[in-house]
Amino acid sequence: MRTTSLTTKLLSLAALGVMAGPLQAQEGRQVYEQKCAVCHAAGLAGAPRPGNAADWGPRLRAGKASLYRNAIQGTMRGMPPKGGNPDLPEAAVRAAVDFMTATVAAASKPAARPEVARKPAAQTAPAASTAPVRQAVPPAAAPVAAPAIAAPEAAAVAAPAPVQVASASLALARPEPGSGAAAANAFNRLLRPPGKRNLPPAEDGIHDPAVDGTLQLQPPLAAFGAMPRSNAGNRVDWVKALAEGKIAPRWERDKADAAAVVMDLNIVREVKGSMPDVVYPHKQHTEWLDCSNCHPAIFVPQKGANQMSMAAILLGQGCGACHGRVAFPVSECRLCHSKKKDGVAAGSAAPQAEAHR
Amino acid sequence: MMCSPARPWRAAMLGAALALAALAAGTRAVRAEYGDVVMNAYSTEAGMRPVVFPHWFHRVRFRCKVCHGDLGIKFQAGGNQINMLKIIDGQFCGACHDGGVAWSVESCNLCHSGKPGLPTQVHESTIQKLTAPGQKQAGSAARK
Repeated sequence: MRTTSLTTKLLSLAALGVMAGPLQAQEGRQVYEQKCAVCHAAGLAGAPRPGNAADWGPRLRAGKASLYRNAIQGTMRGMPPKGGNPDLPEAAVRAAVDFMTATVAAASKPAARPEVARKPAAQTAPAASTAPVRQAVPPAAAPVAAPAIAAPEAAAVAAPAPVQVASASLALARPEPGSGAAAANAFNRLLRPPGKRNLPPAEDGIHDPAVDGTLQLQPPLAAFGAMPRSNAGNRVDWVKALAEGKIAPRWERDKADAAAVVMDLNIVREVKGSMPDVVYPHKQHTEWLDCSNCHPAIFVPQKGANQMSMAAILLGQGCGACHGRVAFPVSECRLCHSKKKDGVAAGSAAPQAEAHR
Repeated sequence: MMCSPARPWRAAMLGAALALAALAAGTRAVRAEYGDVVMNAYSTEAGMRPVVFPHWFHRVRFRCKVCHGDLGIKFQAGGNQINMLKIIDGQFCGACHDGGVAWSVESCNLCHSGKPGLPTQVHESTIQKLTAPGQKQAGSAARK
């Protein structure tokens, strides 16, 4: 939003210089590039794209007068009055409309409707001196406009047509501001946007949607609905879910009522550096695991006998056997590093439940 | 000249831009659930799709100890040499997937539902995120 407003402002200032001079046919292209291309180049919100006959066909049939009126007064379908530039003279808006409709004629129907193709020829006559420069632009940038260049006799009949095509390719080749900003914001591969979390199997990128089995599997959100949320991993606080009875995972494979053998013993590990010390709660771990899962293969059951570092954990050793694969990931520092150096325990026996923000 | 506060077209534009961005981001990325394990020790060479094991689904129903303690499944994707013979024999997945506790081996496609050729790995794991794309098989190299 802010970007759009700023862009519009800057472009309007830039356009004031253009307004000072007499209106030229070339102005249509300038107005288009400075104002209209923001939406029209990519067809945002259904805006008709230059050179795209399918977009413009129905609109052209309604007549130029209707197009001018809609461009100046705006439409309910999304076109703002004068493209959101109230200071723009109506003549400039009309020139931009002429430019865009001319690109359609030049790109899609050069041979079938030469009379239409010749119309922009008259308008762009003053711009002919700049034509060689624009023709140097590689036409590959505008696949839509390419057929016009590929038809040599059409170019010969309507000589200025390549000028139009080339200038259209200039406009289309320009990076479209909306998508650029979105691409920059979407880059953080560790940060998944809310709409992309807990997707059903058919959309998660690893299941094959073409298989009948995929469609029969339970979607994660169907199970997670009633469970307490967290900020990482499955976005579910598993420890809290178990403590609150939201889930009742079996302790024995085939017995629904077998109770876990829980051991309530906190181990405090003093850590180097400025991070708070780690409080390791046996309780939350023995709710899920058997002693033999961790001892003695991963941790020697003796205080001080286990060397640990975050680097090793990140690589899957020690706590990293589960944390970072299935238990909450190491991004949740304070769930483990929960005891302040001055000796006050921040999270006593239930670090995940209590330290959760 | 600028924004009067309420301008529906701006909201429409923003919405369209966001939709485009979401579409662009969504088409190229894997958005697996945290802890989903793809197992492909033998599947592809046997002409089957790889297996997708959803940790979360099993975690709702069983404590970790049931599989990783009682059934002896190691904490290592690709480290268990599971094959259909063992499963039919009642080992590993076969301890439950016998038509009793859970669906039997006849429902091939419920497990073998991964995209063809996916390598063995734990999706969304820290290791996966630390490893550059294209080297994602590194995790399965540890299998032995």
